[in-house]
Amino acid sequence: MIFSSIPILMVDVLGSVAMVVIALLSLYKATKLREMDPDNAVFLYLLWICVGFTIFALSRSFGHILKQFLIMTTNTETWHAISSYSGSVNTVSFMLVGLITLFFNQNWKINEKILTGRKKLEDTHIKLMDLNQTLEQKVIERTERLTSSEHKCRRIFEQSLDTIMVTDSEFKIMEINPAGIALTGYSRDEMIMKKMRAGSFFADPSEWERISDLIGSKEYILNEETEFLRPDNESLLVLITGGIDYGAFGCAKSYHFIIKNVNEKRQMEQQIAQADKLAALGELSAGVAHEINNPLGIILGYTQLLLKEESKHKDDLKIIEKHAQNCKAVVSDLLSFSRKGSSEMGIVDINKVVDGVIKFLSNHSDFRNIKMTLNPHTGDRLNILGNEQELAQVIINLVINACHALDGKGNIDIATEKTKQGKILIIVKDNGKGVEKKNLSRIFDPFFTTKPVGQGTGLGLSVGYGIIKRHRGDISVKSSEGKGSIFTITLPFYRKKT
Amino acid sequence: MPKKNLYSQRLFLKFIPMMTIAGLILLPVDGYATQLHASSEGIITHQMGHLFFLFSMVALIFTVTGKGLDQQKGWRLIQYSAFFFILWNLDAITAHFFDNQIHAVKIENISFGKMRVITSNNSSVLAWFYYVLKLDHLLCVPAMLFLYRGLSNIVHDQRQMMAKKDTP
Repeated sequence: MIFSSIPILMVDVLGSVAMVVIALLSLYKATKLREMDPDNAVFLYLLWICVGFTIFALSRSFGHILKQFLIMTTNTETWHAISSYSGSVNTVSFMLVGLITLFFNQNWKINEKILTGRKKLEDTHIKLMDLNQTLEQKVIERTERLTSSEHKCRRIFEQSLDTIMVTDSEFKIMEINPAGIALTGYSRDEMIMKKMRAGSFFADPSEWERISDLIGSKEYILNEETEFLRPDNESLLVLITGGIDYGAFGCAKSYHFIIKNVNEKRQMEQQIAQADKLAALGELSAGVAHEINNPLGIILGYTQLLLKEESKHKDDLKIIEKHAQNCKAVVSDLLSFSRKGSSEMGIVDINKVVDGVIKFLSNHSDFRNIKMTLNPHTGDRLNILGNEQELAQVIINLVINACHALDGKGNIDIATEKTKQGKILIIVKDNGKGVEKKNLSRIFDPFFTTKPVGQGTGLGLSVGYGIIKRHRGDISVKSSEGKGSIFTITLPFYRKKT
Repeated sequence: MPKKNLYSQRLFLKFIPMMTIAGLILLPVDGYATQLHASSEGIITHQMGHLFFLFSMVALIFTVTGKGLDQQKGWRLIQYSAFFFILWNLDAITAHFFDNQIHAVKIENISFGKMRVITSNNSSVLAWFYYVLKLDHLLCVPAMLFLYRGLSNIVHDQRQMMAKKDTP
């Protein structure tokens, strides 16, 4: 049968070209896929398939076009000669495609393994991220808590009115709060930068040895009372509590101390005790003086009557009179001390009293080599409600005592001041031998004296104490042995009632 | 389905070497150092190649279905491509069977645009059938086109998936 060869020719040639073009386009797409996910084994498989199809399309199309060309150009024999090769190449190419295609299952399995591995890796990554986020959150929370805690501790440390001190294992100061700086009197740099030792604050080095031994053996100390000595030689009574800290990891040994200033409290307690003691002594003295005063008056009266008459015992009677007079003076002093005596109160200018006392005493021979200085308060008058003579007696007693402490040579400074609280201060300061520490608590006791027998009755200061108390005032003493004493009288300022 | 498919594949792979060994034992022939090849060997090899290609396309269709990939348009199009390649292989095998194997059909170019199809029994049906078989590009070009479309769809899906992943 005769057919038109045109359709076959057209389909053959155009089909061959289309095959090549589409195969190349497919190869391009497969390459794109591979680029998108290079780890995907299925995409690799598709790429190989496309490579196979491209080889197949190229070999086949080349063969077909060549065949048509040779037949059309009446070179049929040539085509017959090369057709076997073209056919063989074509066979190999589509067998290759078939072979690659059969590996789909294996590729799929490999890909699944890769995907499972990747999924596990992603899950682990997510878990890790989650853990990391949780960890970060925890770190933030802990940091906030730590900061807050640190702030609280810092605030307690900075604001505490008691001294908080941290030292290293050798008691070198590492940290001290502002209260500690105020208490010890040393600067922060001196203590921390120069690595001052805690023992430097102690007035008595043996006391520090005792306390450091105690903390070494017991690992803590509780309310140990001791005395500190400031750089200005002022001594302070303090209570120390402390303990050992081995740090957060147990390897950094340090000592923590809390030091409480009990100086004022102790002074107050001592003053109260002194006042109680003197009050009791005053009661006793008043009783004794009252009982002695009457018989003494009778003795003195009868003695004086007998003296008016001529008597062979005149000398003896004079001795009796003299001693009776002495006894009466003592009884009078005792009554003054116990406030049982009566005195008239009026408005007294303290500056005037002090000035009068200095003028009076400066003419005395005992004050010849003593330089007396008066620093009176200037401005308004220092008026108080009191008895001028009694007050003058107190000041005279203090100045005479200062003179005795100077052993005839030295300085006595007398000053008057008015405080903001409306108190008047009379300060008598000497640079004499001072009062021994053990005697400080007894100097206002009646009959207490450090002078040799016969030179003092031991009633001067106690009488003065009684007078000042009667004037609703106070008298106190500060003394350093060998450096001198400071007596301070505090009296209430008198204000006119309007 | 995929298990069955896998089983048949394994059976086939085992069957070939077993049959080869059995043939060598049961049908012994004279052994020569170099075997002579008949002229018909080429066409048989070519036909076997077509059969292998056909078989691999069938396997691809079933494997894709077995993996559930036919739910995706791209792979479905690749299945269509495989199907058209199967048809093309059948077409080629049949055509080669008639012209190269049993020599039932022969073509002669009379002039430009004219050709004569000579059939062994002068059957016009066979001549027409053969003429249609010769238009095999009408099967393999769509097959390639489906492959391209399939790959394009897979690329598109992959691109979308990656975009989705990148979107926070």
